[in-house]
Amino acid sequence: MIQPIGVIHDIGYRHYDGPRLGRGYATTALALNSLRGVFGLGRAARAKIMPFLIAGTMLLPAVVSIAVMALLKERPLAYPGYAVTMQAVLAIFVAAQSPYLVAPDLRFRVLPLYLSRPITSLDYVAAKLVAMIAALYLLLALPLTLMYLGELLIDLDGPPHTGDYFAALGGGLVCAVTLAVIGVAIASFTPRRGLGVAAVIAFYMFTLAASAVFFGVLLSEGHETAAEWSILINPFFLVDAVQVNLFGTEAANGQGYPPGAGPAVITAGVIALALGALVLRYRKAAAA
Amino acid sequence: MNPVVASITYRAMLGRKRVWLLALLPVALLAIAVLLRLVGGGDESTAVTVLETFAIGAMLPLLGLIAGTGVIAPEIEDGTIIHLLSKPISRPVITTTKFAVAATLLVLFSAIPTFLAGYILIGTEAGVSASFALGALFGSIAYAGVFLLIGVVTRHAVTVGVIYALVWEGLIGRYVPGARKFSIQQWAQSIADQYSASPFVKSDVPLSFAVPAMIIVTVGAVLWAGQRLRSLSLTGDE
Repeated sequence: MIQPIGVIHDIGYRHYDGPRLGRGYATTALALNSLRGVFGLGRAARAKIMPFLIAGTMLLPAVVSIAVMALLKERPLAYPGYAVTMQAVLAIFVAAQSPYLVAPDLRFRVLPLYLSRPITSLDYVAAKLVAMIAALYLLLALPLTLMYLGELLIDLDGPPHTGDYFAALGGGLVCAVTLAVIGVAIASFTPRRGLGVAAVIAFYMFTLAASAVFFGVLLSEGHETAAEWSILINPFFLVDAVQVNLFGTEAANGQGYPPGAGPAVITAGVIALALGALVLRYRKAAAA
Repeated sequence: MNPVVASITYRAMLGRKRVWLLALLPVALLAIAVLLRLVGGGDESTAVTVLETFAIGAMLPLLGLIAGTGVIAPEIEDGTIIHLLSKPISRPVITTTKFAVAATLLVLFSAIPTFLAGYILIGTEAGVSASFALGALFGSIAYAGVFLLIGVVTRHAVTVGVIYALVWEGLIGRYVPGARKFSIQQWAQSIADQYSASPFVKSDVPLSFAVPAMIIVTVGAVLWAGQRLRSLSLTGDE
């Protein structure tokens, strides 16, 4: 006689009949979680050091500017040039934090786990991008708003620079989108965080140095139009050029930019290129 | 110096995506030099601007960062360094070997392209190309040592290195003259200034300070990295 060797117990697994929140909810949750993660919230204490140090550095000139306005009754810092003035700090933030958004998921191969939920790879990319854009916009808009409130409260001579403030907010959005797309696209090509940071900062320092070299050399040889075009190699000046042509603010390079739609077209092209690279990258990564 | 460790490190540096990052910047430097030469900007002040802003100002710290941290930080991040540390090789020998690998790579990817870019622009006029290549050579060795140390000390080696190169040397060094004394970039600039006859090359740090400082920093960083590696903790973060 054959003894039974295995038994199936009913341990009470139930089917889930409740409401399912769906794709949009999952994407929003991922974006929010990523945004918190960019600032180190919900991560270890040492992950908070860098983003908050950078946020503090971004606020510092605004605070100093308010103090100067209160004591000396003059505006030391214009709103539209804020992003260009603080470009090194913003670049370090993008370089340090965009690999965090994409590299661990690639490295530990957990992308299939995300994609087994209702979100698609496009949703994943969109959520990560939105998180980075929001983080950068916060870094830019917060000091600007603080400065504007300071200006309103201190009540300097003449009307407040409301137009400049809103122009800077608009330009800041373009800046945040451009930087975030470039940073995340570059970072997504390596699963190693260190290499990602190095790659993003290498891109920034290359554009910074190349634009400075061409701008300086072309200007000293009298090719002013070519010099104005060449400084657009640096993404911060490119975005500033868009802002100048769109809102008529003052150019932050002290020289001027090519007028017309040229800078805007280049910016759109750069964003489209980086977006295309990201989408292609994740089509491949999702299959792996 | 341990030849096996050296060969493994060379393979890790040259066999992956990292080599693209190492090679792209020198290629960009040469491309800019050729481009400027073609549009007719081949005079001394242009050459000095290019070498100062691009070669010493951007390429040198970046390559130092990529090579200096790249020889050791990924192994620590992965935890594969444990295989190396469990072998009967003294830890200071490991760091010295890795430093030597980083330094030779930097000479190859930074000093030689600097000379070539200068040569494309103005030939050997006023010794500009050779003096900047010499500055880049010593600067890259110092960067290799310092960034190797940072790679051993912290997990966020690249970020810390970027902040040193961009904020301290770039931002603070531009406004605070005292900060320039403690900037590898400025030391390299001093060497370039000393050996070139060009009036366009300027430096803020006297050579009598730059050279000893460079030697002390490099040797100190490599020795300290060796000491740190003796008591490396492998607990992961996050």
